[in-house]
Amino acid sequence: MIDVRNMTKKYGKLTANDNLSLAVGGGELAVLLGPNGAGKSTLIKSVCGLLRFEGSITIGGYENHSTEAKRLLGYIPEFPVLYPMLTVYEHLEFIARAYRLEAWEDRAEDLLRRFELDDKKTKLGKELSKGMQQKVSVCCALLPCPRAVVFDEPLVGLDPHGIRELKILMSKLREEGCALLVSTHIIESMEDNWDVTYIMMKGKIVRVCRREELHEGQSLEDVYFDITEGHAPEEYPHE
Amino acid sequence: MNSLVFLVSRSLKNSFLELLRKPAKLILWLFVIAMVVGFFILSLYTRQSAEIHNIIWLKGIAFLMALFLVIIAVQKGLSSGDAIFDMSDVNLLFVSPVNPRLILLYGIVRMAKMAFWAGFFILFQSNSLSNGFGVGYGGVLLLLLGFFLAFSLMQVLSLLIYVLTNGRPKRKNAVKLIAVAAFLPVIAYTGVTFAAVRSLLPALEAVLRSPVSTWAPVAGWASEGIVSLIIGNTGRGLLFFGLIILAAALIMLYIALSNPDYYEDVLVATETAFEKKRSASEGQLNPEASSKRKIHVSKTGIGGAGASAIFYKHLRESFRANRLGLWGLPSVFTVLGAAVMSLFLRGEGDGGGLLILLQILMWMQIFFIGTGRGLKELYMHYIYLIPESSFRKIVWSNLELALKILVESAVLFSVAGGILGASVPLILLSIALFTLFSFLLLGINYLSLRWTQADLSAGLLIIIYLIAVIVIMLPGLIPAIVVGSMLGDAGIYVGFGILSAWELLAALGCFALSRGILHRCDMPVYKGGRQR
Repeated sequence: MIDVRNMTKKYGKLTANDNLSLAVGGGELAVLLGPNGAGKSTLIKSVCGLLRFEGSITIGGYENHSTEAKRLLGYIPEFPVLYPMLTVYEHLEFIARAYRLEAWEDRAEDLLRRFELDDKKTKLGKELSKGMQQKVSVCCALLPCPRAVVFDEPLVGLDPHGIRELKILMSKLREEGCALLVSTHIIESMEDNWDVTYIMMKGKIVRVCRREELHEGQSLEDVYFDITEGHAPEEYPHE
Repeated sequence: MNSLVFLVSRSLKNSFLELLRKPAKLILWLFVIAMVVGFFILSLYTRQSAEIHNIIWLKGIAFLMALFLVIIAVQKGLSSGDAIFDMSDVNLLFVSPVNPRLILLYGIVRMAKMAFWAGFFILFQSNSLSNGFGVGYGGVLLLLLGFFLAFSLMQVLSLLIYVLTNGRPKRKNAVKLIAVAAFLPVIAYTGVTFAAVRSLLPALEAVLRSPVSTWAPVAGWASEGIVSLIIGNTGRGLLFFGLIILAAALIMLYIALSNPDYYEDVLVATETAFEKKRSASEGQLNPEASSKRKIHVSKTGIGGAGASAIFYKHLRESFRANRLGLWGLPSVFTVLGAAVMSLFLRGEGDGGGLLILLQILMWMQIFFIGTGRGLKELYMHYIYLIPESSFRKIVWSNLELALKILVESAVLFSVAGGILGASVPLILLSIALFTLFSFLLLGINYLSLRWTQADLSAGLLIIIYLIAVIVIMLPGLIPAIVVGSMLGDAGIYVGFGILSAWELLAALGCFALSRGILHRCDMPVYKGGRQR
């Protein structure tokens, strides 16, 4: 569903993403791990069509800038940015109208209920706390029933209830055949659901690890620290 | 070395080193310096027009500028105070064992730097000041000094107001009353004089010459100080500037001595300013986001489908943020300002007044066009992800601004044209010229982003935008001036027509060339920071 091939992103002389390739299939949850400055957010933004890049990125077989690809994609940014003068419900209405959704109201109500926003429908974007804004951001991204969802640090700022609900929702989306690409620093939050992990360092994917490749008793955290602190990145061939 | 001296000197040194490392920033600085020097040299060679305005009107302008600062200072003081520190100061300095009073002094030194930059635009006015009031470059520097002093005083005043009124509604009301009462004599005297003279300009002149305006707090002191020094009345000038310095010193002394534990008082302002900067770098450029004004939500809902939903969303946002909808207080002030200016331009001959007004408004529009919601959408991710064509999204996202400008310019030029006694066709041509120019500016904005692919610092992007405006306007301006000057009385009509036609053509060209901008450039980040 999400297919990145030989993707390179440069900011002037700095190579933020260096010839990356990854694929996330339907019903698969891929985790992007890496220290600060590894290039995870750049990759995420490139996948969502917010940055230019060299190489190819497709969503459901469509070039990621195409209208067809955008219809399939949902994006939850690291920093939720809402419209200060729109109410919570108007954010969802805006998305529904912009995406030309039909019979979206029940789904909107369901999402708002899940994230305990149903009593805040008439609150303005500027009146919400950061965590609340993040919840609205999640609802906006999931309202069009995307087939591929990209999360950039989705749990940051959420309260325990929000974290639980988002994790449940991620599992549900995965079961429904949705492709999920999640960038996070909170490794243990993904331990239950992940299928494949891409560990990034200095703009390169230094390790691709599938769940079935883990040894008995080995956790994702072990793999991560083994790569980022145990070995020099040069020892690993990049993807 | 004293930690604060180290902090100031090292910050200065690092800023300089950063200039050397970032050529774009260095170019911007060189450009600014070249502009200031250029305007200085130009002012030396500018032939003063035979009829220069009386210097009392310069006092009027300075009075209004300082009055504006007073209003802002009182507003800020009543909300969160003015930010004289950074978050890094709060996190590192406030918790360190450094004398709080020395830290306050350090904050004031930083504040003075901000005051200098806030008044920097005055240096670019040397040519028009020389032409309009016969004021040399020395006068311009005096104007800058007056602005600098008034700005500094207002910063400490807003801090004082915050310290005194924080969490005390009664005191807040008292400050509001005092602020109005301070300028009540000027308002009352203006009314009385106007009733006696029955003519606006002579009445205003009499008010500006009276002690009532001269002794009006800050606005009167600063304007009188500037004008007295310019005309050579040094003693009187120094007296009024001294008054400002004394007031600022007394306020600082009061804050430092009465309240050494002032950290809490400056914290809110610092955090608010920091939050504003952070939100802007994350894409939140809407000023409403940081406004504390209570909004009553009555009508809800958004119309449209597909890309048009962006336009309807903008309408909902604008009408919710402001009772006048698209036309807020800035629009009212622009129309009023144009009307007042038209009063001064009545002697400029047929069309001459409108031409001068258009020039001023077009220059202002170059910078104000970026305040529209359409361009701000580019800093948020939503517009990129909506599954519609890039071109449709851009068009619909700017329709609100186009509507605003069309109505605003229709009102503005009708009022100004009426005062100037201009003919209806000329007023209509002025409306077309200004609206199409705004349309062209939008196109140039997108073209600049498309061409540079937003991979530049904000400063350099502005320079490219300014150069693009000049270069794109020239092919229309030259024939408009040449043909216009050949045709006598009808020349101004033909000139306006040619320029309008060119603006339309160029704007369409810019929009056509910037098609696909949402696909072909990085989502920009405010302040020139780069994404990672």
